[in-house]
Amino acid sequence: MARRRPTPDGTGDPNGALRKLPSGITGDVRLISATWMTIRFANGRIHQPHLERSTQVSFRVADGRRLASATGSDASAGGLEALASTARALARIAPVEPKFPGFAAPFGRGPGRLAFSTSTASLSPEGATSIAEEILDTTASEAPGARTAGAVTLGSEVLRVVNSAGVDRTSTSSFARASVLVQRPDRDPPVSGWSEGAHWDASRLGATRLGKEAAERMAKTTPEPVEPGSYAVVLRGPAVADLVRFLAHLGFGANGEVEGWSCLAHRRGKRVAPQCVTLLDDARSRETIPQSIDYEGTWTASTPLIQNGIAGNVVTDLLTAGRLQRKLTGHAQPPEAPFGDYGPTPSHLLLEPGDATEEELVRETRRGLLVTRFHYVRVVDPGTGTITGMTRDGTYVIENGEVARPARNLRFTESVLTALAGISLLGKDRRIYSGEGAATVPAVATRAFRFTSATLF
Amino acid sequence: MEDLIRTALSTVDLPGVVHADVRVVAPDRFVQLAVRNGAASALTDARSEAIGVRVRTDRAWGFATTSDLRPEPTREIARLAVRLARAAGRHARAPLRVTDELSPDGGQYHTPLRRDPFSSSFESIVDLLTSAEKGLHVSRSVRSGIATFQAWEENKWYGSSEGASFTSRIVHVGAGMTATAVRASNVQRRSAPSSHGGDFAQAGYEFVEDLDLVARAPEIGKEAVALLDAPACPTGPTTLVLGSDQLALQVHESVGHAVELDRIFGSEAGFAGTSWVAPDKVGVLRYGSDLMNVVADATEPGGLGTFGWDDEGVAAQRTPIVHRGVLVGTLSSRESAAQLGLKHSGGTARASGGDRAPLVRMTNVNLEPGDRTFEELLEGVTEGVYLDTNRSWSIDDRRLNFQFGTEFGRRIARGELGGLVRNPIYSGMTPVFWGSMDAVGNASTRHLWGLPNCGKGQPIQGARVSHGAPVARFRKIAVRGG
Repeated sequence: MARRRPTPDGTGDPNGALRKLPSGITGDVRLISATWMTIRFANGRIHQPHLERSTQVSFRVADGRRLASATGSDASAGGLEALASTARALARIAPVEPKFPGFAAPFGRGPGRLAFSTSTASLSPEGATSIAEEILDTTASEAPGARTAGAVTLGSEVLRVVNSAGVDRTSTSSFARASVLVQRPDRDPPVSGWSEGAHWDASRLGATRLGKEAAERMAKTTPEPVEPGSYAVVLRGPAVADLVRFLAHLGFGANGEVEGWSCLAHRRGKRVAPQCVTLLDDARSRETIPQSIDYEGTWTASTPLIQNGIAGNVVTDLLTAGRLQRKLTGHAQPPEAPFGDYGPTPSHLLLEPGDATEEELVRETRRGLLVTRFHYVRVVDPGTGTITGMTRDGTYVIENGEVARPARNLRFTESVLTALAGISLLGKDRRIYSGEGAATVPAVATRAFRFTSATLF
Repeated sequence: MEDLIRTALSTVDLPGVVHADVRVVAPDRFVQLAVRNGAASALTDARSEAIGVRVRTDRAWGFATTSDLRPEPTREIARLAVRLARAAGRHARAPLRVTDELSPDGGQYHTPLRRDPFSSSFESIVDLLTSAEKGLHVSRSVRSGIATFQAWEENKWYGSSEGASFTSRIVHVGAGMTATAVRASNVQRRSAPSSHGGDFAQAGYEFVEDLDLVARAPEIGKEAVALLDAPACPTGPTTLVLGSDQLALQVHESVGHAVELDRIFGSEAGFAGTSWVAPDKVGVLRYGSDLMNVVADATEPGGLGTFGWDDEGVAAQRTPIVHRGVLVGTLSSRESAAQLGLKHSGGTARASGGDRAPLVRMTNVNLEPGDRTFEELLEGVTEGVYLDTNRSWSIDDRRLNFQFGTEFGRRIARGELGGLVRNPIYSGMTPVFWGSMDAVGNASTRHLWGLPNCGKGQPIQGARVSHGAPVARFRKIAVRGG
């Protein structure tokens, strides 16, 4: 049978496609349509502007307890039928998943209308490039002679999930994020400064502020070498976002709990951080990039991960909720996501702020390092939660409670749990950082952070 | 597809547009079969299609893409690509230049296959994975086993305003398995034939059969369990013999990325970083010892970085990168090559699909073999360690300071391999490390490893690349147990 192309109003009926499945076979369908742009700039000019319009359809079937999925970009009735057929053929040969509980019937209450920006979703190419130009103009004026690089990404996505048990839900999201690097590669060693931020409303990105911040964070004098060792540190927002993302994967990803290698496997319900630390996952919040459902159509909800320093449970999707006999938390990824170690993982993190300014965090630290961001962070040992990475784009020595001088960059190798347990103070201003999931975090001061080697710049 | 390309090219034939190229990739197919702890982890057949239109004015590029392969959406995104380029050019002070190239005219490139993986029985592949995964569970300490198969098929049509055109069908395939043994917070992993999903090649299903996963599985499971009781890797500067698998990743991170010309010129500064290599150092920079010879070879049969033409229509090439320890070449596109003053591109502009613009990417970046057998490499070691199979990897944004952990390590004493060591980590600085290489294994120690997940660019693109690497020996390397 010839496959028909989708027409603007020709999207097939996923409910109808599910009803056509033979007896004993159930399924769910994800329809994702997105329009977005990334405007990349480097060396003071826009060098890689990208605009994308895409439709993706994912059809998963359960033949009894044998699961498989097929994806494509044809959302027409014929396209859905072809995907169902492909998925059914794969499911017939799949090993049985004994803990699959079946597709969930509708339950719980939706969040109502979430934060969404129509103007962000409909911004023109000229509008998007003008945000990048605003950043370039700002850094040219704040840091004459420096080179600027970065990217602005914005757009919207509609996710609709339908299943055989009666779920038919849609989430509509708008998003915008920007990053700015200001650098002097002509200095020896080269110096650089960084800023970034994200919002569901592009008009609230604060492009000028990001440009100024990046320029301010670039070292004005020559960075000096620092001996590796254990230091108290003030971590600015981008560095904290990396830490909590890795904590989310290593401590709150469901697969680690199922298989016993989570760094929090034996510490649920126990203190892992001081009283002042509360970490939530809440995809409904206006302080993240909101999403009302997960990729199985479960309503998202506010999920406490660390409550006043006490470790909570992992997040789940249908399969891992079945395996762990826990409640469904609404953290499913697309079923065709590459097989990952972590499984469902928190991806809308919110670390509760404190009341300290950055100056107060530095004063509290007395002697140590101020770190703007990390680079190339990777897991060293999942069981202990140990990760490694480099500092980058604005590292400073703190002495006598003040920022004393720029430092050359260092490699850290440290457990996220040690960093978490050592938090002594949290900043009052928090911002959304969006990359691999969103993390809304303040700067923090932590007492002990191990740096294991240094680089030349 | 040729009609769609003509539609796009005629739409962007507008004042100010000096170049356009169009790629249609349909289907871009990815089949993933995985068995985890006895159950189906992810059985997926994914087919996407996309058209990407890239235009250049005298000041800037513009790129737009859609998954809707009909004429009107194609015309619409073509017009949007022009609007983007014009808007981007408002801020550019200097004109864009690219190299002139002899372009293909109707060329074809097809992966030579003995057994097309997409015509193979998925049922027999799932059976193979199920048996292999079961074989990993040699004791209750093995808390997790996973066996995976992946295959990609990229069908591409390319056309440009310069009259270039080609078509290609490229097939990549691979498989692997990992056992995870756990005792409290002691977590040990062993993978075969490599971590990160296994080993991959541009080949047919015969490549997967030759991996012999089922027969090797019990040994891998036993090694994961044995590592739970192994002593921590000793700490201190020592002689390091690196297995071919880990050395491939070392080449990738500390050579391959560092010699990407777009990084060197700062195009990636805002994301992946820059390079310790300065543009004026090509031809003079001492990268490593005299034994170090590296080539970027997009013509090597079986490589994930092997193709007929890159995504700018430039023919595949074999480019010397490091010769006797001196940097002699880079990876380049038409724009970056012109920026360096080269007459021609190195032909390494690649896109991960029709929905992405090409970037400078690795092809098959290979460390050339030397003249030692594996035994001869060990013979010169009074005390040291042999490490292989990557577990963690990180390097700074100029590709200097690196730290790698491996799944597997064994002591070397008086030229002989000794007992296992746990959680080995080694670290160093790129030129110092390569400068310390004092012996390189011969062709019998060499393997062409496929890496299917090299990330670069915004929006992110995952490239599939390969690295030929022998076993090699390095002196006075900082090693420790994690």
